[in-house]
Amino acid sequence: MRVRAGAAVLGVLWILPALVLIGALILYPVGYAIWLSFLDKHSFFPAERWVGLGNYLKIARDVEFWDSLWKSAVYAAATTGLQLVLGVAAALVLHAPFRGRTAIRALVLFPYMIPTIVAVIVWRWLLNETYGVVDHLLLRAGLVREPIVWLGVDHMMTSLIAVSVWQFTPFVVVSVLARLQTIPLELYEAARVDGAAAWARFRHITLPQLRAVLFVVVLLRSIWMFTKFDTVWLWGEGAGAGREIRTLPIYAYMRTFTYYQAGFGAALAVIMFVMLMAATLVYFRLYWREEEVVA
Amino acid sequence: MRRALIRTLLYAAALGLAAQAVLPLLWMLSTSLKPAREVFATPPAFVPAAPTLENFVRLVRDTAFLTYFWNSVAVAGLTVLLTMAVGALGAYSLTRFAFPGRELVAKLILCTYMFAPIMIVIPVYILARRLGIVNTHTALVLSYASFCLPFSLWLLRAFFLSIPIELEEAAHVDGAGRGRAVLYIVLPLALPGLIATSIFTFTLAWNDYIFTRILIASDELKTLPVGVQDLFAAAVVDWGLVMAAGMLITIPALACFMAVQRHLVAGWGTGGLKG
Repeated sequence: MRVRAGAAVLGVLWILPALVLIGALILYPVGYAIWLSFLDKHSFFPAERWVGLGNYLKIARDVEFWDSLWKSAVYAAATTGLQLVLGVAAALVLHAPFRGRTAIRALVLFPYMIPTIVAVIVWRWLLNETYGVVDHLLLRAGLVREPIVWLGVDHMMTSLIAVSVWQFTPFVVVSVLARLQTIPLELYEAARVDGAAAWARFRHITLPQLRAVLFVVVLLRSIWMFTKFDTVWLWGEGAGAGREIRTLPIYAYMRTFTYYQAGFGAALAVIMFVMLMAATLVYFRLYWREEEVVA
Repeated sequence: MRRALIRTLLYAAALGLAAQAVLPLLWMLSTSLKPAREVFATPPAFVPAAPTLENFVRLVRDTAFLTYFWNSVAVAGLTVLLTMAVGALGAYSLTRFAFPGRELVAKLILCTYMFAPIMIVIPVYILARRLGIVNTHTALVLSYASFCLPFSLWLLRAFFLSIPIELEEAAHVDGAGRGRAVLYIVLPLALPGLIATSIFTFTLAWNDYIFTRILIASDELKTLPVGVQDLFAAAVVDWGLVMAAGMLITIPALACFMAVQRHLVAGWGTGGLKG
């Protein structure tokens, strides 16, 4: 289209409302969080005091911080890994032709589309140690002698990981499925002529084709799992969240809204943010380097 | 023989996938239809012996469920309106007008896509207090709209890019102004994209927990996820009631999903969902 006089002005004008909203409610808060992290500030009262790096120094010596960081790492790594493996496997099944495929593809997405509160209450009910159907089936099958207390301290992290994987794997399934549908069939036909077995075809054709989408999926899922708040919080029954699943987002929330230390809470959020940025950069670097090797 | 075995395995795997996704939700439905004595019966039965709507009646009559429901409808609805108005203008600008920094803006938007609510909700809360809009639906709608905007812009941009620019040029030649060209040519052609984006936005606002938990204090302003959590936090959990509430929150979310299911995979490729 011809660049007309005034088109640039009009262009800026039309994008302006979006930029104002994003600026005011995403970028400004992030900036404000950085500022807050240098203050000692009560969450509700206006009084504030400059403490420089005080909050960060406190965090470095804070046992609870290191504990929550470890919990977050375990949670993010376990859930992302399982989602990836199960998601790719499910996508391969749903890519194969069979009757009723369209319907099953839709059904498989259900756990991702329901509100988190529903996923949590349904699984708390299914895993209830007294009336839950899961323990009932396990007992009847003779797999366990005593009902497993899924929400007790010993199994809380395990059950949280399981529920999170159930809820978020469909994201991986659809992302991979969308990509699978664009792989040219000729590639497989050529391989079949060459006599490549199913595993060899997957290893040498499908997987390389999925590289780019898996790169993005792993990046997004691990970021979102590392910063996941609602599933973890609700699994721990809100305010009573035990140490067992006190991940970094939960800890930041508690510092701000249970202990009213807004500065401390903001510093935790900033640390989370910086770690994610650093991890993302390293991740991109590794990917590009490997890309060069492959090419 | 081998082929038959593979087919059997394939069908078994497909059925397994469907079952793991749907059975937990069917169990919720089953529990919601059971009278109290059946809810707590051992062994639990999948099909209620004496199905009843008692739980739903109690939910509507004895709790503030309907208030939460209407709050959710209002907040999610207004979020969609605001996001679509601002998002469609912005996406159109990103695809049709040349202005300095356009590419930078597009990249910046993609970056904010990675931000998680927990990183911005604390400062947003303090900001809302300063502006005196804490504990209002305005604060919720503004937060959701800004949070949805990056991916809405990205998605709409992809849809607008797929509409040939020549169509608009032809309209200009015929003497139509920009406004009329957009109204009569671009928007109708982008309709599937607009619908898909609306549904994504609606789902996000409908499902969200954290913003409401932090920004809303009054019971009469709460949306469903927070309201139902409070129901659930009672000393003795009334599972029949909670499952009935779960059903009523799930139905609108799944109905929306089924409505746009066909556009979903297409939208997904351009980064249409987060969570």
